[in-house]
Amino acid sequence: MYTELHARSAFSFLEGSSMPEELIRVCAERGMPAMALLDRDGVYGAPQFHLAAKKLKPPMRAHVGAEVTAEDGWRYPLLVETREGYQNLCRLITRMKMRAKKGEGHVLADEMKESCHGLVCLTGGTEGPLADALVCGGLDEAEKRVRELCETFGHWNVYVELQRHFCRDEEARNQAAVMIAQKLKLPLLTTNGVSHAQVKQREVLDVFTCIRHHRTLSTAGRLLSRNCERHLKSPEEMTRLFADLPEAIANTQVLSARLEFTLENLGYQFPDYTVPDGKSPMAFLRDRVAEGVVKRYAENEAAKKQIERELALIDKLKLAGYFLIVWDIVRYCREKNILVQGRGSAANSAVCYALGITSVDSVKMDLLFERFLSEERGEWPDIDLDLPSGEEREQAIQYVYERYGQLGAAMTANVISYRGKSAAREIGKALSFDEETLSRLSNLVGTWGYKDERDALDRQFRDAGLDLKNMRIRKFFELCHAVQDLPRHLGQHCGGMVVCQGQLDSLVPLEPATMPGRTVVQWDKEDCADMKIVKVDLLGLGMMAVLRDTMQMVRDVHRTEIDLWKLPPDDPAVYSALQKADTVGMFQVESRAQMSCLPRMNPKDFYDIVVEVAIVRPGPIMGNMMNPYLKRRQGREKPESLHPSLEPILKRTLGVPLFQEQLLRMAMVVADFTGGEAEELRRAFGFKRSEARMKDIEIKLRRGMETKGIIGEVQDKIVQSITSFALFGFPESHAASFALLAYASAYFKCHYLAAFMVAMLNNQPMGFYNPATLVKDAQRHGLKFKPIDVTRSEWQCTLEQTAQGFVVRIGMRYVRGLRKETAEQIMRERRLRKFTSIDELKRRIPNMQKVELRALAEVGALNFLSEECRVHRRNALWQVERALRRPGPLLEKVNNDGDANIPIASGMKQGTELSELAESPLLRMTTEERLAADSYGTGLTVGRHPLAYHRENLKKQRIRTAIELTKLANGTQVRVAGEVIARQRPETAKGFVFLSLEDETGIANVIVTPQLFDQDRTVVVNNPYLLIQGKLQNQDNVISVKAERMQALLITRAEFGSHDFH
Amino acid sequence: MFAGVFCENFLLQAVMRGEPKLQGRALTIVEGTPPLMKVVAANEAAQRAGIRIGMPKTTAAQFLGVEIRARSTALEKNAHEALLDLGWSISPRIEETATDMIVVDTAGLGSILGSEEEIARKLVERGRACGLCLNVAVAANVETALVAARGFSGAYVIAAGEEAARLSELHVSMLTPSEETAETLERWGVRTCGALAALPVLKLSERLGQEGVRLHTVVRGKGSRAIVVAEAAHTFEEEMELEDAVEELEPLSFLLGRLLDQLCARLTARALAVQMIRMRFELEPTPEKAIEAQKEIVREKNLPGVYERELQLPVPMRNAKMLLKLVRLRLQASPPTAAITKIWIATEARPARVMQNGLFLQSFPDVEKLELTIARIANVVGQENVGVAEIMDTHRADAFRVANFLPAKEESELEIIDSHDEKRLRNKLQGMSCRVFRPPLMAKVELQNEQPVCVFFAGQRGEVIATAGPWKTSGDWWREDVWEQEEWDLEIVFRAGGYVEKRDGPRQERGLYRVYRDAKRGEWFIRGMYD
Repeated sequence: MYTELHARSAFSFLEGSSMPEELIRVCAERGMPAMALLDRDGVYGAPQFHLAAKKLKPPMRAHVGAEVTAEDGWRYPLLVETREGYQNLCRLITRMKMRAKKGEGHVLADEMKESCHGLVCLTGGTEGPLADALVCGGLDEAEKRVRELCETFGHWNVYVELQRHFCRDEEARNQAAVMIAQKLKLPLLTTNGVSHAQVKQREVLDVFTCIRHHRTLSTAGRLLSRNCERHLKSPEEMTRLFADLPEAIANTQVLSARLEFTLENLGYQFPDYTVPDGKSPMAFLRDRVAEGVVKRYAENEAAKKQIERELALIDKLKLAGYFLIVWDIVRYCREKNILVQGRGSAANSAVCYALGITSVDSVKMDLLFERFLSEERGEWPDIDLDLPSGEEREQAIQYVYERYGQLGAAMTANVISYRGKSAAREIGKALSFDEETLSRLSNLVGTWGYKDERDALDRQFRDAGLDLKNMRIRKFFELCHAVQDLPRHLGQHCGGMVVCQGQLDSLVPLEPATMPGRTVVQWDKEDCADMKIVKVDLLGLGMMAVLRDTMQMVRDVHRTEIDLWKLPPDDPAVYSALQKADTVGMFQVESRAQMSCLPRMNPKDFYDIVVEVAIVRPGPIMGNMMNPYLKRRQGREKPESLHPSLEPILKRTLGVPLFQEQLLRMAMVVADFTGGEAEELRRAFGFKRSEARMKDIEIKLRRGMETKGIIGEVQDKIVQSITSFALFGFPESHAASFALLAYASAYFKCHYLAAFMVAMLNNQPMGFYNPATLVKDAQRHGLKFKPIDVTRSEWQCTLEQTAQGFVVRIGMRYVRGLRKETAEQIMRERRLRKFTSIDELKRRIPNMQKVELRALAEVGALNFLSEECRVHRRNALWQVERALRRPGPLLEKVNNDGDANIPIASGMKQGTELSELAESPLLRMTTEERLAADSYGTGLTVGRHPLAYHRENLKKQRIRTAIELTKLANGTQVRVAGEVIARQRPETAKGFVFLSLEDETGIANVIVTPQLFDQDRTVVVNNPYLLIQGKLQNQDNVISVKAERMQALLITRAEFGSHDFH
Repeated sequence: MFAGVFCENFLLQAVMRGEPKLQGRALTIVEGTPPLMKVVAANEAAQRAGIRIGMPKTTAAQFLGVEIRARSTALEKNAHEALLDLGWSISPRIEETATDMIVVDTAGLGSILGSEEEIARKLVERGRACGLCLNVAVAANVETALVAARGFSGAYVIAAGEEAARLSELHVSMLTPSEETAETLERWGVRTCGALAALPVLKLSERLGQEGVRLHTVVRGKGSRAIVVAEAAHTFEEEMELEDAVEELEPLSFLLGRLLDQLCARLTARALAVQMIRMRFELEPTPEKAIEAQKEIVREKNLPGVYERELQLPVPMRNAKMLLKLVRLRLQASPPTAAITKIWIATEARPARVMQNGLFLQSFPDVEKLELTIARIANVVGQENVGVAEIMDTHRADAFRVANFLPAKEESELEIIDSHDEKRLRNKLQGMSCRVFRPPLMAKVELQNEQPVCVFFAGQRGEVIATAGPWKTSGDWWREDVWEQEEWDLEIVFRAGGYVEKRDGPRQERGLYRVYRDAKRGEWFIRGMYD
């Protein structure tokens, strides 16, 4: 019986065109008992390969190995025999990767000698050592090379490899190989040097070859495959092919039997936390928890009981070290004044709350601890830490590296796969499409969430002027489909870190990340979880940075100390704002969809916010759960569970499943899934879901329900709710953590608006709305903004105290085209001495570029340069052009009257300059020009809303303001106009388009039917201001206009940008 | 006085001039590589219909009643030359300001052509006769004439002293300032010539430098630059309209000889030589051809009734007789299909070849004579069968193409093969030699257990006594001519005499052949025979 022992997957990055799962599945279909995966310089695909093999019935043996590049470019095909071999292989690859550029590197002969124990070496195919030696030096050289391999790996560990792909050269090599094997008494071994599972995938491989060599299919010539023979062949085919060498076939079985190592036997150990004073980690943990209980729970008996229960389980599962490691990171962040909050299932734990890891009181919230930690599940708990994005998160990451060493901690990988745009672009290049076609195609692909029939790829192709009847274009279309989801290259996960007791590099190879000081493991976070390696996610969250900045300002300016976990719990202003959907800028509840749900939800306590955060998600919407929940909440419908057995699980959410925990428990109750199976369900429907995997789970689910007598419509409903929900649903604890941030952002917005706005503006881009909308919303709430001014503005926006209270001064970061270093230089110089003129400003900051000075003048930042003499923007622009044309060194010291040697900078001619500053032959900017300059130059305006200038006219046209809509009856015919600040066509809305129109009074929501959108697509998409006529809808205070007619509103050139199509 | 002559919407006008029936219809011009073409110009009617600049051709095609034409540099060149001719028809002193703009010095023309108004009107009328709709502005200085021609439609005369007033309402873009200056003026809100004229010149010069001063001078109507007189064309083209269409090669050769003599004389004066000759003959339309031509229009390819050829020379030449012989040979090889009514010849010129022969170096055949010989051979065997066989970089066996002969490269220009590759190459070349049949011989092959056992070809039956293979190759799967072959090496014994190798004479009883099956067609062929 033949066993395939030399195969590459798509994880050989552009040298293989099948996923590991597919390889092992096809292998099983062909009737082989085992298979080895030898990807290039890595074990990237090994976990997926291993898991897929394990799940097969009967399970297959997944051998591990790699093709490791040698100095001359040829590759050692290495198979892992023992765990020591695996560790050697990982270290070997790590050494080679860590000293080379990404995608490059080679091992040295000496390194190979040191690390060869437990590895079996094959002589390889076209790229192997034998082929290389034969081509370069003939038979003698080849024999010498094989002898060297024997010396390195030991005679017993070298197999002479034979491959037959119906090529002449290869047969000559085989003959030489047989001769050498006979001479050196080495065993022969047949392999097929597999690069793809199916014959057809050769085409993808050829395209990958082109991408790798930066060629096109027409110019790649003999770099392309000679034929399609590198697919997985059946044992019968291989036996027939090697009928003349039966021992080479038989040896595949012999070698397979020798390879005892699989990833089942990885040997991972989580590092212990070093405890001072010789205490046990558990005792140390108990002490830390006790400290936290005093601080956070005081005399809460229920909490103490829960904590005792949790600690007992932690002790039993020997997880004290893990908790201490996470606690240590949190402690470090606190010490460094970095705002940190745990999220994910950790929020279900009272111990985490007591340790300060999370800010959600799980006891008060009655959250389910078992979702976080359970004895049966046998997997590591999952703690994600939210940190402010940027430098502070990096600081925390570097702390972990420092603590556990460069080879003891690493980021998890993020496998970048071919998706719509990238696939189209690269395949298009390989097929020799010109640059313009490529751009057009990649722009066409995937800009909309929802795709109707006519948005399908074939229509996109037609729109781009490409006819699918053409062979080349048809191939392009097919290939675009074929490469979807195949790995393209390895990136790093945004925050997932793995740590290991001892050397992480003996567990999985490490690679340097593009960012200096970081290392990445070759597996992504799912693979790490599958291999039971514990990870800590250090995630950057824009809102954390906003909250940190706000709290800092509140502390500095208002002298009030506020901590996330001790915010006043039932602030009426917060709930009032939420009930009115007055939520622009608030975390998680500011989107258009959230705003239209909030008045119906009418949140009255914290748990309502948790539900609100969880319910406006694609999962609950697609699973038709949102409306039933809201109706039941409003008492319009009776709370009923899908099945009586689900009553206890769904009671809290009125019979509607809203959280991931509920979904898992539903599967466990109705279909008798074990904890592990339920977890598998969640992951099957998770981010990296595959159709096949989901189908399998659904079958299993239905089978389980049938045995329990749940059939027909009820079964369908349960399946629908579980399957449509799983991908996008939040776990309850996660929703609670987010709800806390939502509450905090709402609290700060309601009570410290100025500080909150400064923080929001300084942490852009983030959130749903652009800065212009945030500013307008804050202005409607009474906050005053001051324009950018080189004499006052910092780089960031700042708070300024005035007689009327705090106002926000816009920072120079908002001047488009101005570099940070220039702004800093301006700030430095003005601290030394005031500027007296634009000429002087330019003289004192000689590095300032033309565009920067012009940009400052155009947005009015130079208007206040001289206190004695305010100028208008055109004045400044007039002066700027002169300042930019400095006289040569000879004339620099000649003043306007021709007197030499009088330095201008001395201020001698200040009077003249001032008068010149005030005078210019140019006219002031009109309002329209100012708006256009603001929109182009800063992306926001602190003046009136563009529509406010035209209100009189609009009124004459019977156009209503956004605020007026709230006073009109349902069904009234209305006309509204405004700037489009969001255009959305969500996947869940069946082609409906939602527009948000902003005017000076607020935001009006518009609903566009698919028919109307189709008819007026260009009007909606291309115009920044729209005039809509339609019927007013007021459902439970959710106000919108159902558009009947739409037209462009041509009132200004100023465009402040819109958040589109997400 | 000077007349600025401006051809507005030049791209559109160039096309309409070539196709007068498009006058008055919605027309749009597209540019790009098919199938991705986009709109680069559209007349008012087309814009009213909804056409926008930058729109893809496929979208533009959806608008009913809009004519779409591809941008044609040839037609633009013709239109530009017509514009120049128009100028020269009025005055010998003209300036070729831009493709769509000329300036005509009208000084002293009054006695012949009348007043400035009349001259301007004449220019407009003559332009119309040439198929061009022109703006003509006459002014006392070149700059005013240019700006006014861009800004005012039809014939327009500005009396001396009125320049600033007349120009004041025009947009500053009519002054064609540099991009940076245009942006500055926009930032300043200076949009009309009048507004620019109102700015103090000294301060303007401090801000916009010399360009500012120049523009200021122009808008105040004080321009004083002289025209840059255009010289007659220096392109090496010759054309001849024939009163009677020519059908025979002999009289045609006589005419061609004359043109080539003129061309070579011009080239000699400039110390240049011919690298490439382009010939375009307009042919007498015939009813059949008209139908064919109609199809061509639809395909937007060559103009109807046109015969075009290019003759690329290996080295630059200037011998008119030699060139004529080459042209004749080319015409003999592929003669025009109808009588010729117009001849146009253009040459691509290069510096003449200078060669110093060494005293002790072996002399090679003269390149020009060799080219003549090759042309003669090509005349007999076909152009596509003469040249150097060039092996193509593909797995497809025997794939080659015929490339033009080129003079031998200097040694230093040859690619240096590194020693590693050289070694590989040498090792690869070791083996038997195979004589390839071109084209391959059709064969029939009997198989047993997927192995060839019997081969029929060239009327003989041979038994296969030994096989090696199959060697499988396939490729070009992204093209219509995808191929797949299975190749075998067969040792064949012929019972009643084998394949007769005609050149070698004696029959072979046993032979080693390279045989392949075209898997796409399911047919067998003998590719070659091992020596």
